Amino acid sequence: MFRLLLLLSLTWSAIASEERARQVIDEMEQLYRGDSSDATMTMQVQTPNYNRTLTMTSQSFGKDYGFFRIQAPKKDRGIATLKRDEEMWNYFPKINKVIKVPPSMMMGSWMGSDFTNDDLVKETQLIDAYSLALIETEDQYKVTLTPKEQTVTVWDRIEYTISKDPLLPLSQAFFDEDGEKIRELTFHEPKEYNGKLMPSILEMRPLNKEGHLTRIMYDDIRFNVPEITKDTFSLRNLKSRF
Amino acid sequence: MLTFRLAFRNLFRNTRRTFLTALLISSSLVVLILVDGLMVGMTNVMVGGITHTLEGEAQVVRKGFRNNFEVEYTIDDPTSVISQLEENKAVEGFGPRVIIGGMIASSYNTTGSLVYGVDAKQELKVSRISDAVVEGQYLSGESREILIGKPMAELLEVDLGDRLIITAATVDTNEITQELFRLSGIFEFGPEEMDKNLVFINLEKAQSVLGMEGNLHQIALRFIDPEDAKNPELPLFKQLTNEENEALGWLDLQPSIGAMIEMSGYSTAIVGAILFLLTSLGVINSMFMSIYERIYEFGVAKAIGTTPWQIIQLVLFEALLLALISCVFGLAIGYFLGDYFSIHGIPIGKMEVSGVLLDGNLYTRLALYQFVNFPVYVTLLTLAAAIYPATFASRIVPTEALQRAL
Amino acid sequence: MLTFHIAFRNILRQKRRSLLTGLSMTGGYVLFVFGYSLLEGSYGNIIDIFTLDSTGHIQIHKDDYLDRPKIYKTIQDREQIKAALADNPEIKSFTPRVFSPALAYAGDRTAPSRIIGIDPELEPTVSRLLQKVAKGTYFSTSPNPDGYYEAMIGQGLHIRLKLNVGDELVLISSGADGSIANDIFVVSAIIGNKTSFDRMAVYLPLNAAQEFLSLGNDVHEYVLLVNDKDDNEAIASGLSAQLTEVTVSPWQEVEATFYRTMQADKQGNYFSMGLITFIVFIGVLNTVLMSVLERTREFGVLRAIGSRPLQLVRLITLETFILASISVILGFLLILPIIYWSAEVGMLLPEPIDMGGIEFQHLRGEMSARIFWIPMTFILATAVLVSIPPGLRAARILPKEAMGSH
Repeated sequence: MFRLLLLLSLTWSAIASEERARQVIDEMEQLYRGDSSDATMTMQVQTPNYNRTLTMTSQSFGKDYGFFRIQAPKKDRGIATLKRDEEMWNYFPKINKVIKVPPSMMMGSWMGSDFTNDDLVKETQLIDAYSLALIETEDQYKVTLTPKEQTVTVWDRIEYTISKDPLLPLSQAFFDEDGEKIRELTFHEPKEYNGKLMPSILEMRPLNKEGHLTRIMYDDIRFNVPEITKDTFSLRNLKSRF
Repeated sequence: MLTFRLAFRNLFRNTRRTFLTALLISSSLVVLILVDGLMVGMTNVMVGGITHTLEGEAQVVRKGFRNNFEVEYTIDDPTSVISQLEENKAVEGFGPRVIIGGMIASSYNTTGSLVYGVDAKQELKVSRISDAVVEGQYLSGESREILIGKPMAELLEVDLGDRLIITAATVDTNEITQELFRLSGIFEFGPEEMDKNLVFINLEKAQSVLGMEGNLHQIALRFIDPEDAKNPELPLFKQLTNEENEALGWLDLQPSIGAMIEMSGYSTAIVGAILFLLTSLGVINSMFMSIYERIYEFGVAKAIGTTPWQIIQLVLFEALLLALISCVFGLAIGYFLGDYFSIHGIPIGKMEVSGVLLDGNLYTRLALYQFVNFPVYVTLLTLAAAIYPATFASRIVPTEALQRAL
Repeated sequence: MLTFHIAFRNILRQKRRSLLTGLSMTGGYVLFVFGYSLLEGSYGNIIDIFTLDSTGHIQIHKDDYLDRPKIYKTIQDREQIKAALADNPEIKSFTPRVFSPALAYAGDRTAPSRIIGIDPELEPTVSRLLQKVAKGTYFSTSPNPDGYYEAMIGQGLHIRLKLNVGDELVLISSGADGSIANDIFVVSAIIGNKTSFDRMAVYLPLNAAQEFLSLGNDVHEYVLLVNDKDDNEAIASGLSAQLTEVTVSPWQEVEATFYRTMQADKQGNYFSMGLITFIVFIGVLNTVLMSVLERTREFGVLRAIGSRPLQLVRLITLETFILASISVILGFLLILPIIYWSAEVGMLLPEPIDMGGIEFQHLRGEMSARIFWIPMTFILATAVLVSIPPGLRAARILPKEAMGSH
């Protein structure tokens, strides 16, 4: 999930020098996203009422373009999401319809998971939209992001914890204004994918709702894929079979 | 005046009967006053509730907006409409508004809402949003202010000062837009529909976020004289209604309230009719009794040359006097009770009628017509009821009457 | 009984007096019954409109679905419930339903809507859905020849999405298993009018809705009609004890706001009714008292010739009772056909009143035992009670005084 990867990259900034932070972020971005990416993954959604497992493919180009397509289960096969800048579309093969995600769905969950459509869309503003503060311990970096005055977000602050060696994210915690942790994203089991080391499992756990969990497991991910360009991310391609 | 003295004396010959009949007549009057006062009180509360809480006594909107609530239906040439409203002497105040559906989100939850962008100062003259605020502050024009209802605050689990995001589609480009607000006030209007769904922000902020600078969906009006709102021929309405816009009073905006008021009117009319019939029966009964008692006298009177017409006059005069006395008592008691109930009210518990909350007591409202018209009706009624007995008395055959001993 | 015989004869002897007194009581009775019937009838009418439109008399849900509807709060053991309901002789009919919010799309227009999955055959036994079809045809459980399931939409959707009979409708929602539900339906009918509560609803056949929402065989709600609607709260309690896995709610809970409002409105009307009762009381007081009092002389004679005081009181009371009974029975015969007519046909209002999409144009009365015997008892009791004190007084008075009183 490129947003997560971007969030990961945001962990690299320091109160002492935001310059350094930005530099590192750029580096991280290159490391984790490259110019483009192509991944296959499995998403598990657990709630007190149902459990679901989806396998998906995803492609990205830069920060602004992304595709997700469901491969399984059969009932949902072919359902796809296209993101361009701040706009999102969904495609439903059963009814052969492309639907632009309306405002009423933006804050709703994406594909039934604990991530919202909004999570997917809200990306590039983050660097400019947050102030960064860094605390170093022996083996961890802890970065606190606080939204700037004009930033449109429900979170009062976000805390990232990163291990120093290897340089990998451990967790991200989202806090409300009373200082309560509302949800937490954790990273597990680093693996090597085509030469890059990154966490293979991401878990998003809402803390205000019992029994909810979304787990993403990367099966494979390639970077700097030459076939993927900006034009790949078109509405026509959204509809096409694969 | 001989007739007057005769009538007076006749009435008080049988004080008890006169008293009882007067009691009946004056009770009718009192009941009429109270029932009407009750109806008027309730109607006023309902109407006032609707028109003064939020909707206004009249509105100017784009034709078609009321059907669809679609955001493209903005008022045509709003600046001209506003200047016409400003110049119009009948208008006490007006509130320009933007109304749009949107999602509102906190860190805990998301829910749908109807967002009103209002001009804080101008709204004070038109609606009671400011009165409904129970925690925090009413709007003051600061851009990030937002007011939500108590049930919504509970659903979103937010306190004053917390972040809220409104997500909506811009009016001009239909793109998704989001804006951050900080909860500045919590309101309780009463009716669930309002408290659960409405959100208020500043007009300018709404216009800029939604890409509709200078545009409005609705202007709510209040008149100096509330009766103006009920007048469909009001010059202002004609002036502002054209091909694009329409200006309507609350009767047209909320026809169901009009229907309910009509229903109340029927109820009062029915109650009135029942009362009148009962009273007439009592008066006729009483007059007949009184005539029987004096049948011997009437016989004598006719025998010595009193004309039937004079007898009718006498009886009618008695009835008139009776009515007047009764009315005096009735008015006094009616005023006293009506006044009492207008202050203390009749306890009825919580009631929500067409989106208006009536809580606790129903207050009667006294009006002049109740004290002028009703006594006149009652007096006329009494006189009408007395006609049959009077005619009967005038037709007494002296020879038969003089034979009656008992 | 001699007293009875005498009482009867006395009544017939004084025809005019008896007639007037009797007429007054008959009038009082007739008006009392009429007012009472209208009062109760209008509420009964409104309740019927409500409950027979879609709410039903009793609803069954899982847990707190009624307060906080969530798609996964489903009723699962349907066989047990169906058996219990079918066995219960007090239950007239029942039908299952499912619900879900959904986004409705037609062309490039979109609107939020509510899916209501119904059993096409059972639903008309519980609600008026069949009569609400404004355009098109009522659907069935099978897909149409092209393989699409049919949907019936409310007027609001018809207007917003410009959807007509035969058009395609796309629905997107969340399934109970977390998947994104999406499918195409064909509009077979348009339901209701612009103010109906279901103007933004999409009715689907139950099986189609269950499949769409991945509900399997589960439902969200059972709606019941009972045979005796005044009993519904008791029946609901009984069911609740019997079916422990689900929540049983009488309509008074389902439509709590309306119920509260109605109760409060009733209070207001009972107040008016109380006033009418008071007038009836005064009326009876007036006539009965007067007619007893004016016979004081007669009673004096009776005493003089040896009647004992108690006998006299008994006689007077009996006379009054007989007269009152005759009056009341006469009144009953007079008003019975009128009440029957008002209950079956009702009075035509000049303007139909719209309540939540149902138009009703008749003011209906209630036809039941209580509207007849309560006023009857009241008038009889009042008449008899009122006749006792003067009777006693007449009984104790010395013959000499009595005979001089005229």
